[in-house]
Amino acid sequence: MKLLVPKTLVAKHSLFEKQVLENFAVSDQVRQLLPDSGLVRGRIVRCCGDAAASLALSLCARASQQGSWLGVVGVSHLGISCAVEHGVALERMVFVHPPESSRDWSTTVAAVIDGFDLLIVAVPESLSVTDARRVQARLQSRRSVMIIVDTATFSETSFSNSAHPFHADVVLDSTTKSWSGINNGAGYLQQRQVAIKVSGRRVARTQEHLVTCNY
Amino acid sequence: MLRCLDWSAVVAAKTSNSPCAVVYGQRVVSRSVAAMHYGVQVGMRRRHAQGLCPDLEIAAYQPDRDRRAFNTVVRTVNEIVPLIEVSEPGVIVFATRGPSRYFGGDEPMANKIVQALRTSIVADSQFGVGVADSRLAAHIAAHISAQDKTKAPFIVEPEKTKVWLAQKSVRVLSEFANISSETVSLLERLGLNTLQDVSKISESVLAGRFGELGVELHRLARGDEQHPLAAVAPPPEHLCSRAFEEPVIDQQTLLNNIQIMAEEFSDYFVKRGAICVRLILKFESETGAHSERLWYRPQGLTARAITESAKWQIESWSRKSPLVRVQLIADEVRTDTARQLKLWGGVTQVDETASRAIGRLTELLGSTAVQLVKWQGGRDLQDNFQLVSASHFQPRQNELAATTEKPKWRGSLPTPSPSVVYSEPPLVQVVDKDKNLLRVSARHELSAEPAQLIINQQNYKVISWAGPWPIEEKWWDSARSRRLVRLQVVIEKLLPDGSQQVQALLVALEHGEWSIAAIYG
Repeated sequence: MKLLVPKTLVAKHSLFEKQVLENFAVSDQVRQLLPDSGLVRGRIVRCCGDAAASLALSLCARASQQGSWLGVVGVSHLGISCAVEHGVALERMVFVHPPESSRDWSTTVAAVIDGFDLLIVAVPESLSVTDARRVQARLQSRRSVMIIVDTATFSETSFSNSAHPFHADVVLDSTTKSWSGINNGAGYLQQRQVAIKVSGRRVARTQEHLVTCNY
Repeated sequence: MLRCLDWSAVVAAKTSNSPCAVVYGQRVVSRSVAAMHYGVQVGMRRRHAQGLCPDLEIAAYQPDRDRRAFNTVVRTVNEIVPLIEVSEPGVIVFATRGPSRYFGGDEPMANKIVQALRTSIVADSQFGVGVADSRLAAHIAAHISAQDKTKAPFIVEPEKTKVWLAQKSVRVLSEFANISSETVSLLERLGLNTLQDVSKISESVLAGRFGELGVELHRLARGDEQHPLAAVAPPPEHLCSRAFEEPVIDQQTLLNNIQIMAEEFSDYFVKRGAICVRLILKFESETGAHSERLWYRPQGLTARAITESAKWQIESWSRKSPLVRVQLIADEVRTDTARQLKLWGGVTQVDETASRAIGRLTELLGSTAVQLVKWQGGRDLQDNFQLVSASHFQPRQNELAATTEKPKWRGSLPTPSPSVVYSEPPLVQVVDKDKNLLRVSARHELSAEPAQLIINQQNYKVISWAGPWPIEEKWWDSARSRRLVRLQVVIEKLLPDGSQQVQALLVALEHGEWSIAAIYG
């Protein structure tokens, strides 16, 4: 006997049809960190820890080279030379300085999502959960990728994991273990080892990776 | 035509006699008269120009500022001639037939304009008025007039324009008519040295060799006009008018209204496969005063361009009373030679979407909050790249600007570069093992090895360090000289959960104070 399933149900249920994941290309080094071996459209990746900024840049680099536009929203301290060294295409990189208030911030980010494929975002503390939800819904419908940078520097306070307004699909928590190439007055910073803890909604089990970054 | 030579330099110069150059991408794009006497030329490298004239003031290229400053000139001329066209800052074009008849001939009319401008901001700069039958010829005539000491207007007799123009070298095309210098050099290599030579060749031959550009070249060489200047009122069908029942005072409200009008207006033409290249913008105030300006863009006026033009016009118009009526009148409409999106290279769909988003963000946040990156070069991390406002963004142009090669600066830091760079570096104390602040001698030698970093009263142990990388810049100029040294420092941090973490920082010493310039994040 043939099982009859209405067409609408097939479209709705991923049980019947495997969902096609559209990915942005990423470099080989960061591919192993991501659960679906790429940046899946419509998702949020949160980078925290001390190597957050370089991690975010290395995630975007390959897609940016392939013609995607990158909007940097509110991350005023991002080193541009560093972005160039990671391979981000400068001609498709736009810096946006959004207003601080929750509503204006989310309107601005929504406008950026409308036009750009990739976003690197610093989330203000004032952002409400409702506005964050709206931004996330827009992100999913426009199929862009948002990378949140939580720079835990000396002065700024960062979000604790539970209080963050966004539900990140993937969380990359980085801790630099060692730097080499530098030796009490000689040499210069060349290579480092970073421990990256991968967690988040789309990750079944928390994984730990030790990555060596060569420059 | 009225032409002010090197307008951006005139605006940028502090006093009218100081040598000043406006620089874009390390090249001089405009220089003042005083700088010209030192031998500074347009197209010269910045370093070379500074070598010729050490006192040279260097200003960045800011089209917005130039346009704002030019508004005073526009206003002065507008008092004499009703309908004028401003295609770029520094150049005003208008049809002379009406005004000349009123003032009794081209010469009295031109003299009247020169007289009026003698008392304005441009008085000390080079400006000239030229009258001729075509845009190109008038451009050249105005240039000749501008170089004349007495600033006498240069008038080419109406019937003699073509003969006069034919004698000119083809180089005028690149100088005055936006034809690329490569094309002009190709023409010269083909043995076509004057415009007469070009116009003698049949148009179809040129079109066969150069395509659309060939037709344009032939037209310019003949002395014909693509869009003749209008002196009469345009037909009434291309008109979009809005009368406000309540007079509008607030500029933002007004601009929002104009934006809606502009979108309707350009939609109207898009649906008919046409594009508006010249537009008359008319504002009327409650007291009956009105402002009327012609806007011309050969590539067509989009809704965004119209709103932008309206903004400039409103800003330049010193009115007291609120507005009651806005009119957009299409003066010149041509068929849209449609732009097909390219399959490979060029501007793609993604770029179009992004540039629309940039436009929307600029409207939302203002032009300073949306920025693009431009390489400028420098030893310091902050100088290396410049953020420029995205309000005049065009996808293709930007790509060209960014892909130029970026040579390595001597004395800059080794790669990798830090990923977090502070514009206002937080202060820090770098001390040796006896808790004395570290100093650097005149020969860039450290007083001791760094042992600890004190940030916000917290001590961090220095594991390793390297450097110093000194910067000594502009030591010949006490006002702008900089002297600093930078150190790479790796410190140890204890995380709340007890695990250990190292962090690499770039600390800088300037004016006796240490600060965290950047973090290798």
